[in-house]
Order: sequence, then structure tokens, then C-alpha cells
Amino acid sequence: MKFTFMCKGDGKGGRGRVAVVGGGPAGLAATGYLVCQEYEVDVFDKLPFAGGMMMFAIPPYRVPKESIIEGVEDLEKNYGAKFNYRTKVFCGSEVRHDEGDEYVEKSLDLTKIIQEYEATLLTTGIWLSRKLGVPGDDARNVYSALEYLYSWSVYDLGLSTHKPPVGERVVVVGGGYSAIDAAETALVKGAKEVYLTYRRTIKEAPAGEYEVRRIMSEGVRWVELVQPTKVIVENGRVTGVEFVKMKLGEPDESGRPRPIPIPGSEHVIEANIVLAAVGEVPTPPLDIVCDGIKADPKRRTIIVNNRMQTGVENVFAAGDLITGASMIGKAVGSGLRAAAFIDSFLRSRRVV
Amino acid sequence: MNEEVLSKYGGLTRVINYDVCIGCYTCEEVCKFIHEGMAFIVLYEIGGGLNKPISCFHCVKAPCVTACPTKAMHKDKDGAILVDLSKCIGCSACVAACPFGIPEIVPPGYASKCDLCNPLRKEGLTPGCVSMCPTKAIVWGDTAQVAKELRVRALKKLVYKPV
Repeated sequence: MKFTFMCKGDGKGGRGRVAVVGGGPAGLAATGYLVCQEYEVDVFDKLPFAGGMMMFAIPPYRVPKESIIEGVEDLEKNYGAKFNYRTKVFCGSEVRHDEGDEYVEKSLDLTKIIQEYEATLLTTGIWLSRKLGVPGDDARNVYSALEYLYSWSVYDLGLSTHKPPVGERVVVVGGGYSAIDAAETALVKGAKEVYLTYRRTIKEAPAGEYEVRRIMSEGVRWVELVQPTKVIVENGRVTGVEFVKMKLGEPDESGRPRPIPIPGSEHVIEANIVLAAVGEVPTPPLDIVCDGIKADPKRRTIIVNNRMQTGVENVFAAGDLITGASMIGKAVGSGLRAAAFIDSFLRSRRVV
Repeated sequence: MNEEVLSKYGGLTRVINYDVCIGCYTCEEVCKFIHEGMAFIVLYEIGGGLNKPISCFHCVKAPCVTACPTKAMHKDKDGAILVDLSKCIGCSACVAACPFGIPEIVPPGYASKCDLCNPLRKEGLTPGCVSMCPTKAIVWGDTAQVAKELRVRALKKLVYKPV
């Protein structure tokens, strides 16, 4: 990914300093635009390399790592962007723990960064997984899809020597891309049996019927219209998941048919690893409020105006952090638009 | 590249390698950003939740160029098919002629389509969709380069299994 695809200049800087908090697709796209407009950009990322989910969660057979590494090196070597890795930025001194925090070596106060730079862009993404919300979901061997994919990524990249568990029987709960990627990774890594379980039918699966059928053809077993009721734990270890069968009712607020449990249909699927892929939520670098920057208390998204500006005029936000879980391209587009708004904000301020 | 080769082989070409495309919308979003809100490489759902992009193929023997009565539709020196807005009368002949449904008539009434990022190419840069595709699904170059890249990819799939 050549994030400097619009560069006419050479990234000499001189037009002001911008901080980008979070080096995923949104942050990198914004960085590319801004260095091309001759801003000096410092990227802060809690992980040991940039790329975010593209580098540390999406499997390499989907997005090749070289493509991301080339793009980051271009930003760094040819256009002077500075990458501060293993650095978690957070408002105040109480730093919240999210997923993917294992490599953090230092924390920086967001309010200090905002003071130090002419503009700050928040693109910290969605590094927290929803829990299954059933008894036993905190047992050992119950992982979030994100946690599982991240563990394999850091292991395969040689950043960790700790090999993630392979598992004999893996049960994945969910029907989105995280669920597909977790199930396929489990299979690729050598799990004997992988069950992909979803509470609606293949027609409603957010990843789409094609993707589900594709991994079924590779050997993943698809079980639809089931919802977990509890994770069965013996001696601290998972032995299975109890499911209840579901039927589809009237459309719910999402427009999809509402899954309704069928009483008495409880049954157990044996498993020694459970992967919860029931959604990821935004992880803003703050808890609800940080000076004028506000997160939606329910969705946890950062609230921005139509110029992608937060309540603090020189702080902007983009990517999944403002939309919730989406796609690489949507994050890229969002990052580019935010970067253009930052540019026009800084230009107009200079004129006044 | 020299003029002779360009005229002989139709210049530069762009091919979408659908095998490696993951339907992530990066090309569409980047295109939309470059062209002030209008994308000329667009993803559509083709069934089963599968989304893939389509854009102008910049054909060597472009039917839109042949059909255009005012010569508004033309080929530039790189082989990109462009619309000369001062000549376009918005007649839809190109829309009807294109086998891929690419040109569209936009307000106030002229044909609009992918220009292979003409302003970027003038600066020696590559079209945005090509530069930014995370999976390098969009291959670009002269016809020989594109052929080589696609063949190497095919070979890797056939015989090379990374350990």
C-alpha cells in the first residue's frame, strides 16, 4: 500500500506538526496524505509495528504483510514520518487495558500530545471484543477471535515465542469476518475439527454465504440457528459449549430476522477451545470524556462533526473509531477525509 | 516507454486480479477521495455477500471511442480512455457501446468514467487504486509487465508453497 500515492513533493515538512494516534489503515492513509502536504507526522501505536488489524489480526493469506511493510517503510524512509511503537496514548493517568496491549512499554498522556502538536488525529480502532455473555465465558481456553488471530500474528511474525494453542476441537461463535478468519486460522494451524456456529442462518451471516461456503469446503463445519447458553468448564478447562437451537422471527431493529431460542433444545458441542467472534467495539484513547473530546457512552465511538472534528477544535477522529467495526477501505477513506479536513483547518487558521 | 511500443500494444494496462481481491473497498474509497466524491472503480455485490470492484478496462480497440460521434471519447498517450468534456454531447452512445457498462452520463449531461488518475499520471504517479490496494490485486504497467506479473503469480500458486 503506497500511502503517499498523491505525493508530488518530497515530504520535507515545514507546514506544521500532526500527531496520529493509531497506525492502522485510517491512520496510515491520513499520514500519507499529510506528509504529501508537507506536514511532519508522528504516528503513535501501541503495537510493535504499524498496520493495525491488517498486520496483527487479518490473516496473511487475506492481506499480505509485505504490502503493509512496504507502505510503512515508504512513509518512514522517503517521507520522514516518525513511528513511535509500543506507545499507548491515553487521556489522564488511569490507562485502560484493551486487547493487543502486550507490547506497550510506555504510556503518553493524550492531553500532552494535543498541546504539543498543531493537530491530532485519533484512529485507535476497535481493540476490544464483546464477550459471549454466558456462564463460563471467562474460562481458560475461551478466547476472543481478535485475541486468537492476534496471538497467531505475533507468533508468525516472530515477535513472540509463545505458540498459541492449536486445539483438537475448536468452536467458533459468530458469523462475521472475524469468525471466518478465526475458524480458517484454527483449521490452517492444525485443529482437527472446527465448528463455526451462528445464531441466524447462512443467508444472514454478515461475512456472506460465499465466505461461509468457502471455508466449509476447506473442512470447517457450519452449524446455524444455535446460540451458546453456557461454556462447560471442568477443572478450569473448557470441555464444550451448550447451545440452544434458534428459530427466526420478525425482523429486529437491524432489519434481519430476530433469532428466538427454542426452549428445551439445549445440546452440547464438545470443544477444548472456544473462540468468541461476536463483535469488536471501539477503543478510544479516553474513558467517555477527555476535555472536549467525547465518546458515545453506549457505542464507544468518538463523536465528531461533519468535518470529523471532535469537541476540541484541533483534534480529529477517523476510521472504525468513529464508525464501529467496518472494512479496510472504509477506514482508508475515512482517514483520507480526516487528513484533508486537518489540512484545511490548519490552512484556515494560518490565514486568520 | 517509447511511442512505437505504446501504439503497437495499446500502452499501459490495468487488470484486476479477482483471485486476490478481498472486496475491502480501498480502491473505491481512494478513487472517491481523489475524484471529489465520485468513484470510478466501484464494488458491487455479485451474490452470496461477495463484493468485487469493476472499472474501465481501457480497451485497446475501445467500442466507446468508435461509437462516440464527436470524438470526445479518446485515447491518451498512455492508452487511457478519456472524455473531452468540451466535445461530449451526453448522447449515451458510449454507454450503449461499452460491453462492461462503464461510462455513465452525469449532470449536467456528459459522459464520465475512470481517467486512470490523469492528474497523478501527469506527475509520474500511479493511479490511486493501484497504489493503495492492500492485496496488490490491481496490476498495472505496460502489457508485457502485466503479463509477467500475472504469470509469476500463477507459477507461485502452482509450484511454490511457502513453509
